[in-house]
Amino acid sequence: MSSVTQIAPTPVAPAVTRPRSRKRLRKAGWNVLGLVVLAVMVFPVYWMVSTAFKPGHDILSYTPQWIPTHPVLSNFTDAIHQQFFWNAVKNSLIVTTVVVVLSLVLAFLAALALAKFSFYGRKPFIVVILGVQMVPLAALIIPLYILMSRVHQVDKLSGVIVMYLTFVLPFAVWTLRGFLLGVPKELEESAMVDGATRFGAFVRILLPLLGPGLVATSIFAFIQAWNEFIIAYVFLHTPEKQTLMVWLASFTTLRGTDWGPLMAGATLCSLPVIVFFVLVQRKIAFGLTAGAVKG
Amino acid sequence: MAEIEFVHVSKSYGDTPAVRDLNLKVGEGEFVVLVGPSGCGKTTALRMVAGLEEITEGEIRIGDRVVNELAPRDRDIAMVFQNYALYPHKTVYENLAFGLRMRKVPKDEQRRRVEEIARKLGLADMLNRRPSQLSGGQRQRVAMGRAIVREPKAFLMDEPLSNLDAKLRVQMRAEIARIQKALEVTTLYVTHDQVEAMTMGDRVAVMRDGILQQVDTPQRLYDLPANLFVASFVGSPPMNLFEADVESDGAQLVFGDTRLDLGARSLRDYKGRRVVVGIRPEEVREASGWDGAHVGGRVLLVEALGAEQLVHIEIAATPLERADLVDAAAQPPGPSLGVEELERSVTLLGRFDRHLLLTPGEAVEVAIDPRLLHFFDLETGAALPTADVPAVAGVAG
Ligand SMILES: Nc1ncnc2c1ncn2[C@@H]1O[C@H](COP(=O)(O)OP(=O)(O)O)[C@@H](O)[C@H]1O
Ligand SMILES: [Mg+2]
Repeated sequence: MSSVTQIAPTPVAPAVTRPRSRKRLRKAGWNVLGLVVLAVMVFPVYWMVSTAFKPGHDILSYTPQWIPTHPVLSNFTDAIHQQFFWNAVKNSLIVTTVVVVLSLVLAFLAALALAKFSFYGRKPFIVVILGVQMVPLAALIIPLYILMSRVHQVDKLSGVIVMYLTFVLPFAVWTLRGFLLGVPKELEESAMVDGATRFGAFVRILLPLLGPGLVATSIFAFIQAWNEFIIAYVFLHTPEKQTLMVWLASFTTLRGTDWGPLMAGATLCSLPVIVFFVLVQRKIAFGLTAGAVKG
Repeated sequence: MAEIEFVHVSKSYGDTPAVRDLNLKVGEGEFVVLVGPSGCGKTTALRMVAGLEEITEGEIRIGDRVVNELAPRDRDIAMVFQNYALYPHKTVYENLAFGLRMRKVPKDEQRRRVEEIARKLGLADMLNRRPSQLSGGQRQRVAMGRAIVREPKAFLMDEPLSNLDAKLRVQMRAEIARIQKALEVTTLYVTHDQVEAMTMGDRVAVMRDGILQQVDTPQRLYDLPANLFVASFVGSPPMNLFEADVESDGAQLVFGDTRLDLGARSLRDYKGRRVVVGIRPEEVREASGWDGAHVGGRVLLVEALGAEQLVHIEIAATPLERADLVDAAAQPPGPSLGVEELERSVTLLGRFDRHLLLTPGEAVEVAIDPRLLHFFDLETGAALPTADVPAVAGVAG
């Protein structure tokens, strides 16, 4: 939509007789496109959830059933009673929590250094942070596997955590740096002249203003760590040590796929992300620094 | 209350000097305005006093204390930032009370002082609002209030009015000056606007490229500018400047076809040399009934200002070549259009009575009184000593 409003203010030809209706038509076109995209995005989620409530024969029937006519909960009980479910829940929670907390702390300190201090090699560092995000993860898996096995971190949660941090951190640093740069330095300075220590100004002025940035970063880290599959699948062999995403894959066996419990498990796995998002999203009030400067 | 003193203060960012060997004293309760074009080092000077910028060389004193190494919070000064720097996540009340809270003033005392200031500044109804819900003028008041409520030893203000519209600016100008007089707090005020400087300051310090040019009362600055830069920077419209030759006897000045008797103001040390001549627009007069040399010219443009009119008159003289010695923003209007016979011409700005009827293209004679002229060295831009310097003020009446 924003592209429309950017194009609009440059009326080229005064010959256009009815720019109004044209504009409306274009707007309607974009709206329809938006709805189509939305449908494409939402449908798989809907199909996952609805399948989770269907009994086995409904799932595999040739005429697709759009709404579960005889909803059942057996798929969920099956999934929960599946072997290693609670192990996987515990592992996923550990990995995700540690990744979120560590990435927030480390990225915040790094972003602070990048935004507030000038030091030798700062520019190259920023470029590198951007650059590493462009390397496809799949290309790195084998070298990283060898590297991690040398330091005995294969088949360990700690190894996976370190791996996750390697791609969560650059993005988190980059995002937080942007938020930090958005806070005028005069705010802290003013607090210091008003009687705060440097640390006091940091805690009372800077930190509250960075709330949205920290929330955005934590959501990103949470989603990445919770949903990650490839690394966990490659690195974690022992069933007791696997995370939820790897556990989900265990529904697909040589004898076929157990769709009902798989979809129920997938639905259960999506819940924490949604809950986390709902909990913290209220804190994302963008434009929190509005009114700090100028008139 | 305390004085602020700069003693040989310099500041460089890497190799680029921002402030050079600044010596300036703001007396107790005095209102000193630091003025100069953008980028001349005003903000840097102010930030060094606040403790937000390290001092490369020299000493800054507040009261009797050298504060070079003192943290901002221990200097007991208040600063109003150019962009106000209000805390966006705090209400107006919390913004005003922040400094008091940091200094552990008791809660009820905080409330009393904040409410008193809010009433004085007309902010009493908006104590619960956030800065984003205020107009520009109101934000400016909050920024002022935050400084005042602390009752500090000194105020530092960095262009506090530059983000306001013209009307509000004039209004706040008077208000800040009034508040300062009432509180008698030592104040160092920074602006790039010479009108602000002249109207508000007890004394005005003019800065250029990090170097202090002159410090004096607004009137003396206007009457006796120390050099070309100050002469061109102070006053609106700016002083008319052109080049002229001093005759070999030092008693006459020649420019274009004009020969001017210097009388008592002879330039004995500049015999046979070229100097810069300056004259304020209000001293350029329509010839009839005035003393001094009469110079023929042509009216280029008449700007009616209501009470008076600003007349652009082209006369024969050599324009000032050394643009580097004057304020860039005060350059006289460009060369005139198609007046071939006056190859070397200068546009004089004259402030005339509104009853004088002049039309563009018309020939006109102006009287230039040698007693009202300013002279400057062509090389250094320094004002030239003449036999009777104080004459300017005496004759003006
Ligand atoms: N943090 C900085 N780093 C490098 N140069 C600076 C910095 N701050 C100011 N300067 C330079 O110092 C000079 C004076 O700046 P400043 O004091 O802000 O000028 P003013 O307030 O008079 O407009 C300018 O040339 C500016 O570019
Ligand atoms: Mg400035």
